[in-house]
Amino acid sequence: MGQNTTAADRSPDLSVHLGPLRLKNPVMVASGTFGYGQEYEDFLDIREIGAIVVKGISLAPRSGNPPPRIVETPAGMINAIGLENVGLEVFLDAKLPHLRDLGIPTIVNIFGNTVEEYAELARRLDGQPGVAALEINISCPNVKQGGMVFGTDPTLACEVVGAVRHGTSLPLITKLTPNVTRIGEVARAAVDAGSDMLSCINTVAALAVDIYSRRPKLANVIGGLSGPAIKPIALRCTYEVLQAVRCPVIGIGGIASATDALEFLLLGARAVQIGTANFTDPAVARRVVEGIERFLEVEGFRSIEEFIGALDLECTFPFAEASCQSLDLDG
Amino acid sequence: MAKQQEAARLLEQEAVAHQTYRMKLHSPTIAGEARAGQFLMLQVRDGNDPLLRRPFSFHRIQREEGAVEILYRVVGRGTWLMSQMDPGSTISLIGPLGNGFDLSNSGAGPVFLAAGGVGIAPLKELVDRLLSDPSRSAGEEVHLFYGARTAAELLDASLLAAPALRIHWSTDDGTMGFRGTVTQVIEQVVRDEGVRPTRLYACGPLAMQHRLGLWALREGIDTQLSLESLMACGFGACLGCALPAANPDHPTSDHYLHVCKDGPIFSAGSIQWDRIRQQQIAPPIFRCI
Repeated sequence: MGQNTTAADRSPDLSVHLGPLRLKNPVMVASGTFGYGQEYEDFLDIREIGAIVVKGISLAPRSGNPPPRIVETPAGMINAIGLENVGLEVFLDAKLPHLRDLGIPTIVNIFGNTVEEYAELARRLDGQPGVAALEINISCPNVKQGGMVFGTDPTLACEVVGAVRHGTSLPLITKLTPNVTRIGEVARAAVDAGSDMLSCINTVAALAVDIYSRRPKLANVIGGLSGPAIKPIALRCTYEVLQAVRCPVIGIGGIASATDALEFLLLGARAVQIGTANFTDPAVARRVVEGIERFLEVEGFRSIEEFIGALDLECTFPFAEASCQSLDLDG
Repeated sequence: MAKQQEAARLLEQEAVAHQTYRMKLHSPTIAGEARAGQFLMLQVRDGNDPLLRRPFSFHRIQREEGAVEILYRVVGRGTWLMSQMDPGSTISLIGPLGNGFDLSNSGAGPVFLAAGGVGIAPLKELVDRLLSDPSRSAGEEVHLFYGARTAAELLDASLLAAPALRIHWSTDDGTMGFRGTVTQVIEQVVRDEGVRPTRLYACGPLAMQHRLGLWALREGIDTQLSLESLMACGFGACLGCALPAANPDHPTSDHYLHVCKDGPIFSAGSIQWDRIRQQQIAPPIFRCI
């Protein structure tokens, strides 16, 4: 080694195996926060992202909920967009080809009103060139159907995932809701029904009201909380899911920096998804990838795989000295 | 016309009316691309609180200086924090965003501009563009109808005055100009002076734009309304800034337009006004102490 070491030799390997998928880095962008990719192309080279999870797709187009649809809360926002989307046909004709041409691993988030609609989406996306995996949304808190009702009951979750599994040979990710008492039970049900991976968490069911107008701040009254406010909840859920299942888990919830992303990876998540932070910093995904690389370099890890799951559960006080260093991961 | 994320430097910050401030920002890339009626998203400060950027239309675009100006009213914690910033501060901007005003065919006859309160913000840049348009027929006036609740909320006339610009002032309480609404003044000028605009540009409270929009639709006058909404991103990703769209073929359709990418400039006929739930009770003026 010594003087023959090149920069390429020293830069850590960020690639991850995620079940049947291999990604060049563990940083994805979450469904509903990155459109269909094109919305972000002025701000960054989206090929730098590990994978894109596109806005949730239903069989027919949906126009979404009446406004107001969003409200800001401390370190977060509540949304009730209502799964507005272009529908499967427009997605396949107008959105997917562009992502395929760029060669970006594209994960299609799907949702339906019935188990049969989920299955139909799976059948029609099966074998579509450019689709790397499906993410099954059984966790949206903002619409009556197509969402959380399937994700809060292990039996229904099992039914939906089983139907999708039957319809496609694509890798399957089931996106879990935090709005349950025992998230591990739903996680196990999804894996038993054939889900290759799990992602957690979707938004936390939430509400905001205005004391002057004496009205709810969202037309839908209830929405989903996202942003930094939910990160500790997401970390706890990820931890519980990792204890319940052996499949790859993707951490989501309040990630806005490399430090945030590394916290989920430390627990054992094999990848992360950035959500709300894309709205306020459209190039955040690139910053997070760069920050992870810098962290691994400085801390002496040769690959991200060495760091994933390296959590030592024995808590010491004071915390390790490293946490006091001013390692600027997020600059 | 690429959207940019740019670290701007605050050049000037000035109180210009009650709870209303003008910010001048050095942001050469955005200034080079921006057009009247477009907007930017401003990050109030680093960190998580406030989390979301705030949208502001361009009040003035000074391409040669590489600067843009915004005009804002303190309505909550975000704008209050903005009002405390000192020149020299760095502020992250995203812009230019949205469609901007359509200036074509505005030279043929008199043009009406209607501003309610801080709704004067995008109309200042528009006035400058209209008056410097060489295709405008000489002698065709630009009428600015400018109203607020009370005189203290209005910009000083010296900030707006320009040759060939006629300003019609109004206040709800009669402390400046006509006592009444902008819409009433417009109707009066049309009736008494027989002036008929070729186009109406407007920005202000939703209720005002709704009234003006319906009036213009009845009169068959082309409209360019600058509308606003809560929005998380400003560039078409969050889908938070939905407004119900009018669809003459399907009057009950629940199709939505998005203020950030379909607007913020809309014709009155493109909005399904009766489906917008308007705030009935105005919140009290924001105070931080």
